[in-house]
Amino acid sequence: MEFFLESILNGICMGSIYGLTALGLTVIFGVLKVINFAHGSLIMVSMYVAYWAIIYTGVHPYVALIIVVPVMYFFGYYLQDIVIKPIFKAEKDVREPITVIIVTTGVWYILDNLTLLIFGPQYRGIQNNPLRGKMLDIGNMLISVPKLWGFVTAVITAAAVYWFLQKTRTGRAIRATSLDREAASLMGINQFKIYNIAFGIGTAIVGISAVTLVPFYNIFPSVGVLFDIKGFIIVVLGGLGSIGGAIIGGIIIGLIESIAPMFMTATWAEAIVYGLFLVVLFVKPSGLFGVKYDW
Amino acid sequence: MTRKTINTSALILLGVVAFGIPLVLRSPTYLHIICLLFFYAYLTTSWNLVGGFAGVLPLGHSAFVGIGAYTSTVLSLQYGVSPWLGMIVGGFLAGIVGILIGLPTFKMRGAYFALATIAFGEGIRVMFENIETLGPLNIRGPRGLEIPPTHTGFVNFMFNTKEPYYYIILVMLIGVIAFTYFISRSKLGYFLNAGGEEPEAAMSLGVNVARAKLIAMAMSSFLTALAGTFYAQFTLYIYPKSVMSLDLSFEIAFIALIGGRGSIAGPILGALLLRPVSDFSRIYFGSSLPGLHLIIFGTVLILVMIFQPRGLQEPLLKVYNKLLDRILQQAPQGKAGHEYS
Repeated sequence: MEFFLESILNGICMGSIYGLTALGLTVIFGVLKVINFAHGSLIMVSMYVAYWAIIYTGVHPYVALIIVVPVMYFFGYYLQDIVIKPIFKAEKDVREPITVIIVTTGVWYILDNLTLLIFGPQYRGIQNNPLRGKMLDIGNMLISVPKLWGFVTAVITAAAVYWFLQKTRTGRAIRATSLDREAASLMGINQFKIYNIAFGIGTAIVGISAVTLVPFYNIFPSVGVLFDIKGFIIVVLGGLGSIGGAIIGGIIIGLIESIAPMFMTATWAEAIVYGLFLVVLFVKPSGLFGVKYDW
Repeated sequence: MTRKTINTSALILLGVVAFGIPLVLRSPTYLHIICLLFFYAYLTTSWNLVGGFAGVLPLGHSAFVGIGAYTSTVLSLQYGVSPWLGMIVGGFLAGIVGILIGLPTFKMRGAYFALATIAFGEGIRVMFENIETLGPLNIRGPRGLEIPPTHTGFVNFMFNTKEPYYYIILVMLIGVIAFTYFISRSKLGYFLNAGGEEPEAAMSLGVNVARAKLIAMAMSSFLTALAGTFYAQFTLYIYPKSVMSLDLSFEIAFIALIGGRGSIAGPILGALLLRPVSDFSRIYFGSSLPGLHLIIFGTVLILVMIFQPRGLQEPLLKVYNKLLDRILQQAPQGKAGHEYS
């Protein structure tokens, strides 16, 4: 029984980190209405930034947030501004430009392989950090400390993003653009500036999730691929554009991954995740907590 | 000389050159590369039937390659069925799976459709990786299947040299191009085109868009599976990550997109331009600059999508037509002279 509970708790913690990665994706989708296929690569880039920041300064992994968040914000901001904006300008009337999927996949290929070219294929991990391998002992249950930190970070980040979107002026402009591009533009909101900011924020959240991963995860050029498809599944599961949905969707995936191996081979858990994803797509494409879109 | 005669003779010349290549080029390495090039051109052309004409973005086509490869290989390894027969069986099996995937997914739009096809493709791959035996069929999970190269010959679809493979894939490629050409001129082709660009308008005119897309999907998956059998017999070793990987699905779709989806020449052009770049950068820079070919691929993808969203075939066709104009104008007693006067 305790073993079961232990798996559930660890599943929730890991799942909330998945949810945090997907939160970045969902913020971008909510505003731009496109799925960013370079999502995994942005996680990978963030992990490398965090890795070097921690290695060079020797600080506690979470202090690296000070460096990673602004770097990734501007990375996302200019990625949207330089690479993706031309597509939006060319396809003004298209509600959900499919071309962006293709372009962001191009970004994925370039980032992953450029990293491979520069840093090589070897696995890197931050061995001597205060979080690595730490276990919290509650009763007879062992809870991974870095994952617990990740859980707390995910909840705080989601709350902060929610607050930002609801209460601040920029947040309102972002929501207005998300609801209706043309009307927002008529109200004097610079649509493309908002896109840049939203992409920047989404990428910065990805950066936060990378910092939570770095203490216990290995870093290598194709590490993002592991989070790529998972991220897409989570956001559709939780409802594209829904902040709470992303976290809950992540926790669902985390629970499946931690509980399913008790009853079957671990690799089958992956098949269950795909199956669940397809069921949600067919039965309720707007996801568990999503706003109903008109498709 | 008219434009038409020039076009036809250019095509015939191209065909003659294609059939003549193995007579001149004796190196098995190069023939191997060209075989794979044609294999990709075949796949992108098959993909184009649904990804191009039907105007959606399927990103799970490698599942059909895998179904084709596995069906013929399992049948020939366990029951001694000729891979040629297995090829057809695999094709029909893939066609059925294609319809099953298409039925629920074609209702979705844009990104949702792309994501659903990814999930289907990946789900099928994960299943193949986890299953050792499927009823009486032995598919050996992630280890895959090896085909012992003992019985060579046409019936067994196995040869000691590359030339027969070359001619088989060449004929398959020509066949699929002819088929696509036929479809694009048929009622189905017009239905698909209309449904891809303006589904609501097409439906209001009485076009059954969903049915047209399903037929296209069935044909596309059938044809894709045939190439799977070719690949299995060509490499004699298949495993889920080789024939069903997401990378392969993406490569098929993106080569076609770079060349120009929805046109007949586009997907072939994409394969002809991109495969050699990727092969040669892998051969020459594979150890010193790993991943270079994918950086090039990604860059080309982005640039094409930003500057030539209809693919590379458009500017190249323009250049070709301009060239033809010049030739026709210079010809002193050509018919073209009258057309311009």
